[in-house]
Amino acid sequence: MEAVAALERDAQLMLRVREGDDTSFALLLEGHRGPVVHFLYRMVQNQAVSEELAQEVFLRVYRSRATYEPTAKFTTWLFRIATHVALNSIRDRKKEKGHESLDEEMLDGMARQVADRQHTVEQEMVREAKLREVRQAIETLPAKQRAAVLMHKYEGLDYAQIAGVLSCSESAVKSLLFRAYESLRVRLAHMA
Amino acid sequence: MTCLSKNEEGPELLAGYLARALDPAQMAEMDRHFAECSACRGFLSVWERLDDFSAPEVSPGFDARLYARIAAEEARRTWWRRLLWRPAVPLVAAAALVAMALFIYTPGQRPGRPEVSLPVNIEQVAQAVDDLDLLVSLDR
Repeated sequence: MEAVAALERDAQLMLRVREGDDTSFALLLEGHRGPVVHFLYRMVQNQAVSEELAQEVFLRVYRSRATYEPTAKFTTWLFRIATHVALNSIRDRKKEKGHESLDEEMLDGMARQVADRQHTVEQEMVREAKLREVRQAIETLPAKQRAAVLMHKYEGLDYAQIAGVLSCSESAVKSLLFRAYESLRVRLAHMA
Repeated sequence: MTCLSKNEEGPELLAGYLARALDPAQMAEMDRHFAECSACRGFLSVWERLDDFSAPEVSPGFDARLYARIAAEEARRTWWRRLLWRPAVPLVAAAALVAMALFIYTPGQRPGRPEVSLPVNIEQVAQAVDDLDLLVSLDR
């Protein structure tokens, strides 16, 4: 019930943006900036790229304000834009991906070393290795399965919302998620 | 219960179990199943492993960068609108005048006004020639 009320509020805010109320846009940005950036980060696994893509997502939201109609839940509409932007980026950046991942891993590693000084070096290395495996396992999923898992696991979207985002049926989403979790289970079985 | 690995509702059941959102009977059934099924414990383990994949905080300048891009885009749009519309008004007016002039001074091509061939009256023509001759002689 709470979630429905929140979604209705977002649609109302977007309608106010359509009327030229920029404060409502600021409220939408405040509420959805984190989830969108985090979703994109897990999709492309690079912080700079994920923020650049998130900027593109919110720019598209702003550009669409004049034609916005609340036909779907706001979150569904927003994640549809985000997924579209992410899938395009993955397709375009496939060739340079190797270099980016390496850079990102190095930067992430350095950031974590500073942030988590309470861990011993050994604990940290084990944690790093496990995290790398999880990231690689997610990265090897087909892009659509990856998007479905990330929306389901981290963003709390239900089957109907994911179906709306990916423009497919709920049963197709169930199948996508099932195959994705099964792949991850097999790939990460040794970590159990 | 059906093994999660053979059940398409598996991800939803697992999410519900971990969020403690299933009813007590379902929770107990899932507990029993996890205790005896290593494949399903594997799903549980995957879910926990994914928790380790945290995302970094959004950089502090994110909103400022976005608003700067929006402002730049709006300014560009306004500039284009000006560029397109200012010369457009006199151009459209000039084009309308030219079209009107062509319409007026090309009677043969006026739509809806077919040329009418009137019968030639020889006597009238002869009279006109005589009148002209008279005028010419008066001039002299």
